[in-house]
Amino acid sequence: MSRSRRKNWNAVNAASLARWIVLTAFLALTGLSYVYLTIQLYHLGDRRKALENELAGLRTQNDVASAQIAALTSRSALQRRLKEGYLKMIPISERNIVRLSVPIRSDSDDAVRPVVNQRPSR
Amino acid sequence: MKWTSRFRCALICLGFVAIFSGFSFRLIYLQMVKHDEYAGLAAEKHVHKQIIHAERGSIVDANGDMLADNVPVQTVVADATLLNDKAAAVELVSRELKMPAAEVAEKLTGDRRYIVLQREVPAAVADTLRGKLRAQKLRGIYFEQDSTRVYPNGPMLCHVVGFTDFDHKGIDGVEATMDEYLRGQDGYRYVEHNRAGQEIVLYRGQERAARNGYQVQLTIDLNLQTIVENEIDAAIREYRPQKATIILMRAQTGEILAMANRPNFDLNQRSEAKPEQMKNRAIIDVMEPGSTFKIVAAAAALNEGRVHLDTTVFCENGLWNYGGRPLHDHKAYGELSVQDILVKSSNIGAAKLAIGLGEQKFYEYIRRFGFGERTGVELPGEIPGLLRPPQNWSKISITRIPMGHEIGVTALQMTTAMATIANDGKLVMPRIVKSVTGADGKAISTLSPVALRQVVSTQTAHQIGNALRGVVSDRGTAAAAAVPGFTIAGKTGTAQKVDPKGGYEHGKYVVSFSGYLPADHPEFIGLVVLDDAQTSKPELNYGGLVAGPIFSKIAEKAARYLDLQPHEEIRKAQPVARVALTNASHR
Repeated sequence: MSRSRRKNWNAVNAASLARWIVLTAFLALTGLSYVYLTIQLYHLGDRRKALENELAGLRTQNDVASAQIAALTSRSALQRRLKEGYLKMIPISERNIVRLSVPIRSDSDDAVRPVVNQRPSR
Repeated sequence: MKWTSRFRCALICLGFVAIFSGFSFRLIYLQMVKHDEYAGLAAEKHVHKQIIHAERGSIVDANGDMLADNVPVQTVVADATLLNDKAAAVELVSRELKMPAAEVAEKLTGDRRYIVLQREVPAAVADTLRGKLRAQKLRGIYFEQDSTRVYPNGPMLCHVVGFTDFDHKGIDGVEATMDEYLRGQDGYRYVEHNRAGQEIVLYRGQERAARNGYQVQLTIDLNLQTIVENEIDAAIREYRPQKATIILMRAQTGEILAMANRPNFDLNQRSEAKPEQMKNRAIIDVMEPGSTFKIVAAAAALNEGRVHLDTTVFCENGLWNYGGRPLHDHKAYGELSVQDILVKSSNIGAAKLAIGLGEQKFYEYIRRFGFGERTGVELPGEIPGLLRPPQNWSKISITRIPMGHEIGVTALQMTTAMATIANDGKLVMPRIVKSVTGADGKAISTLSPVALRQVVSTQTAHQIGNALRGVVSDRGTAAAAAVPGFTIAGKTGTAQKVDPKGGYEHGKYVVSFSGYLPADHPEFIGLVVLDDAQTSKPELNYGGLVAGPIFSKIAEKAARYLDLQPHEEIRKAQPVARVALTNASHR
């Protein structure tokens, strides 16, 4: 009985089975990886967009702040403040000015200016 | 044929093969043959070109102080094909953007894909609207980053800086002339949206970054501009003229340091300005210059060697009939030297100097001084003035033009002519733009001084300069223009106003003073022009009495700001006349 039963069994080719299992697993993993990576790309895209928006927001805040600084430190604003009494300025009289050197005109503001610590006769 | 099970099975298989082959061929047809067509249709539905707006370059003064800047705002746009609830969108947008609902509804009709709902929406308002759109799950409304132009100094320097239109195109002033550099270049990006209207970053297509506009630096110094603006405002309060112009210019380089006109307007509220307020009168208005023009006749006569500075001219005791028409001096002068013709501002003397030259030669000198042509300053709308060729002159023109009548000049031309005397006879082109720099701070263009021509010899220029010192003395017509501590050379002008209907308006004058200091080594030139100043007495409406003191106040403050060292001898409070003579010998 057992002999005849053994006769009807098909022999399993272990090597072939293993090969198919590996191949199937590889294909499944490849597919899953593809899906996973694609989803990751979408997520990264969304993250990139969020960062871009955040950066744009920061730039906007910076630009608005710069414009406000420019407006508040403009001549017109300072003069208005002066008139309103928030600032007080006293003109410097000529006798209180001590000239250290004869001013030298130069094309560049960065040019070195010699300084002589001599008080000119008055 | 027997319908065996084997045959039936084969037939079914064949059927499947045929069906799937058909599908396969259709798929291949769609994917390969019709790919471009359907890809295009899909792209048209989901992909659109997003504009990346370039930021307009700023305008700064010579010290880097901001004159024109940008504030970020948003442009609210809609895609009508993606709107999922038009009625709700209309209601929300009209409420948040404070727009009439009918206007919003009209804009959203049809299936246009790019509809501008409102420009220049402040960032805070846009954020609120964005949040509410998200909360109500409304699709099809987008926000584009944009910016609007702001001018921190408001009305100050309004005619020079100019302004832009809603599309950020320069319309007036430097904004217009330097628009090519300021405007930059918009970029773009092809983006794809999902059904919710959100960008699918993964499918972001071709992209070109925006190139922001360059920064334009002017020669204007805001500190000097403030001095000039304060003084012109004071003059307006005191004399209530119809118009006023003041220019400060650096003699050697032609750099305009300050330029102010009245009436003026606020650049941030330009929609409320009237056309009369928006004119840069320094380059657009023509005026008869009056006696300041005598420097041309005197310089021409000296340069041609027809006279010397001490050559005397008989001034007909104040009344001279020439060509059947009388020519008056304001006082009866007899013999006057050429120097004194300028110091005393004798019309008859100047006329005789021009007659000695001849019409053609005098006309040549007028042209050489830059009259009758645009100066070339980087400002829009400059006019060349009015100068007729000698063949169109009347018999008396040769006597009227030397005293600044029958000729129309701009204030800038007059300043440039005076700069020629201060600059050893060289005519320099006035400039208002100093440099253009890129975003990295590197100079794209630096404008150098341009010497156009040698109008008169250095010696002639010195002689005229010496004579002009006498004008600002107790002997001259502009003693009130003196600045303690400095020698000044200058010339007054008082011209009767031209009546548009013909002739001259009685009792209305254009008074001016043009001068420079220090007379030895001129640092800057100033011109003050007041049109129809109201003085307490008509006889006080003279250039030396009205424009001279204004120049004096400006020059004193400007000299202090520029750290010009006062002349030692004058610091000991010498009389003005003696100072003039002392310094005249220096050159």
